[in-house]
Amino acid sequence: MESAPQVVHPRRGGQDETGQRHDAPSGGPVPLVDEIVALWGELLNCPEIGAEDDFFALGGNSLTGIKIIERVALDYGVRLSVRDFYLAQTPARVAGLIKQGRSGT
Amino acid sequence: MRLTPGPARDIDLDTVDLFDLDLYGTGDPHPVWDVMRAKAPLHHQALPDGRDFWSVTRYEDVCRVLGDHREFTSERGTVPTHLGQDDVAAGVLLTSTDPPRHTEVRRPLGSKLTARAVKSWEDSIRRSVTRFLEPALDGEVFDLAEKALLLPAIVTGPLLGIPEKDWAELVHLTAMVTAPSDPHFQLGSEAATLAISHHELVGYVSEWVKDRRDSGAEDDSLLHHLMSVRPGGAPLSDQEIALDGYSILLGANVTTPHTVSGTVQALIEWPEQFRKAQADPTLIPNLVEEGLRWTSAACNFMRYAATDVPVAGGVIPAGAAVVAWIGSANRDSAQFAAPHTFDITRPNAKRQVAFGFGPHFCIGAPLARLTLRVLFEELLHRFDSLDLAGEPEHLRSYFIAGMTHLPITAQKRLTP
Repeated sequence: MESAPQVVHPRRGGQDETGQRHDAPSGGPVPLVDEIVALWGELLNCPEIGAEDDFFALGGNSLTGIKIIERVALDYGVRLSVRDFYLAQTPARVAGLIKQGRSGT
Repeated sequence: MRLTPGPARDIDLDTVDLFDLDLYGTGDPHPVWDVMRAKAPLHHQALPDGRDFWSVTRYEDVCRVLGDHREFTSERGTVPTHLGQDDVAAGVLLTSTDPPRHTEVRRPLGSKLTARAVKSWEDSIRRSVTRFLEPALDGEVFDLAEKALLLPAIVTGPLLGIPEKDWAELVHLTAMVTAPSDPHFQLGSEAATLAISHHELVGYVSEWVKDRRDSGAEDDSLLHHLMSVRPGGAPLSDQEIALDGYSILLGANVTTPHTVSGTVQALIEWPEQFRKAQADPTLIPNLVEEGLRWTSAACNFMRYAATDVPVAGGVIPAGAAVVAWIGSANRDSAQFAAPHTFDITRPNAKRQVAFGFGPHFCIGAPLARLTLRVLFEELLHRFDSLDLAGEPEHLRSYFIAGMTHLPITAQKRLTP
C-alpha cells in the first residue's frame, strides 16, 4: 500500500526537469510551486494560499488529498506516495516531491 | 484508561479536560464521569483552540442523544477526534447519514450480519480462535493486547473477502484512525496520521472493488455484498462502497481486541468470577455482556443538536456538538447496581450500550457477540488460570478505551 513516487504518463507536456513549464500563459514560465498553490486553491476551495501554508490548517482532509494526488498524477506524470504527500504538508514541499519524482531520485 | 477506578478524588468540573489524552493513557476517567453524572449530567467544555462541546454521561441521556436523529444529527460527524470540522463524508458514509437514507442502506447490509446469518460461521470462527489461543498455552508470557489486535482480521478477514497478506497492514491503519496520538501509531502530526490512514484504507477498498470489477469474480464476501446491494433500487456509488467498506473494516478491527483484553484483565482481577464461569459455561453469554459493559471499547460517539434541545436539566443549543459517553453510561448506578464491580451474573448486563443505541447500533454486534462467546468458551475450556505478567499499558485515545499491552501467563487446564 505504500510506494515511492512513480512516474506515470503525464496528461500535459512541456515541463523540463527544473519544474518550469514552457507553455505558460502571459510570457514567462510559471514555477511549479505556483501551479501547486493554484491546484490546492482550486481543490481546497480557498483562493488565498501561500507556498508554505499547511494543508491541514487550510481544511485539507483525505478526500481532498485523494483528489490532489490524482491531479498531480494526471498533470505531472508523478504518482506521489500517500505518506510522503501528507507528511510534506505544504505546496512548496509537495512541489519538491514532484521534482524528485520526475528526476527519478 | 483504568477500567477499575482508583479512589474517588476531588474533581473540579469547571477545569476538567475530557480531551486530555493523559487521562486515558495513564489516568483514571471513571471517577470524573462519576462526579459528572452526579453533579453535572449536562456538561460544557471549551477547548483552548476555541472549539467547544457538551457532554452527557447518564445512561438515559446517552441513549436519548444516540437514539433520536431528529434532535441529534449524525450528518456533521460522529467521532470526537473530528470535532469542529464538518464531516466530508456526510450523507455518503452510512455512520454519518441520518434516516431515511440510513435505514434504506443499512437494511440490506445488515441482512448478512444478523445473528442467524453469522451462526453459519461459528465453526470457522472456533478454528481461528483456537489457533489464536494456542501460543498462550506454552506457559510463556503472552501479550494479549498486542496479539488480540489481529484477532478480528483472523476472524472477519475471510468473511470480508480480504486476503491474509493484507491483514497486518490494515489492522495497523485502523489503529492509526482510532489513536492518532498514540506513540505506537502516530506518523508526523495527529492530522497527518488520520489523513494517511483514512486515505490508505479508502484506497484499499477502492482497489479491491476495481479488481473485482475487472475480473468479474463474484463471491459470498461482505465487500462483494456492498457492490451488489440495491438500496432504494440503485446500487451504491463507488464512493459509498469505499467509505462503507472502510467503516466496516474499522468497526471490526478496533473494538473487539480491547473488549477481549479488558474482559480478561477483569477475570484476572476477579478470580472468583473466572472460577464461576469455568464451573458453569452457560454463564458465558452473560460474561460476554458484562465484559462489553465493563470495557466499553467505543468510549463515546458525537452528535450535533439540530435545534435547541433540553437535556438533563439544561439546554444544548442548536448546532452544538454533544459527546455521549458510553463508557460512563455503562457505569451508571441508576441502571447497573454496584457498577464498578465486575459480575458475570449481573441480571441486566445485556442492557449495556457498548454497541451504541438507536439507528446506528453496531451493525456487527451479532458477529462480535459470537466471536467473544466462542473465544471465552475456548479460553475457559483450555486455561486453568490466568496471571498478569507485567503492567498493562493503555491506549492514548479519548475515543477508544483500550490497551496496547497486557502481558499474561496462562496455566493449561489438565482435566478439561
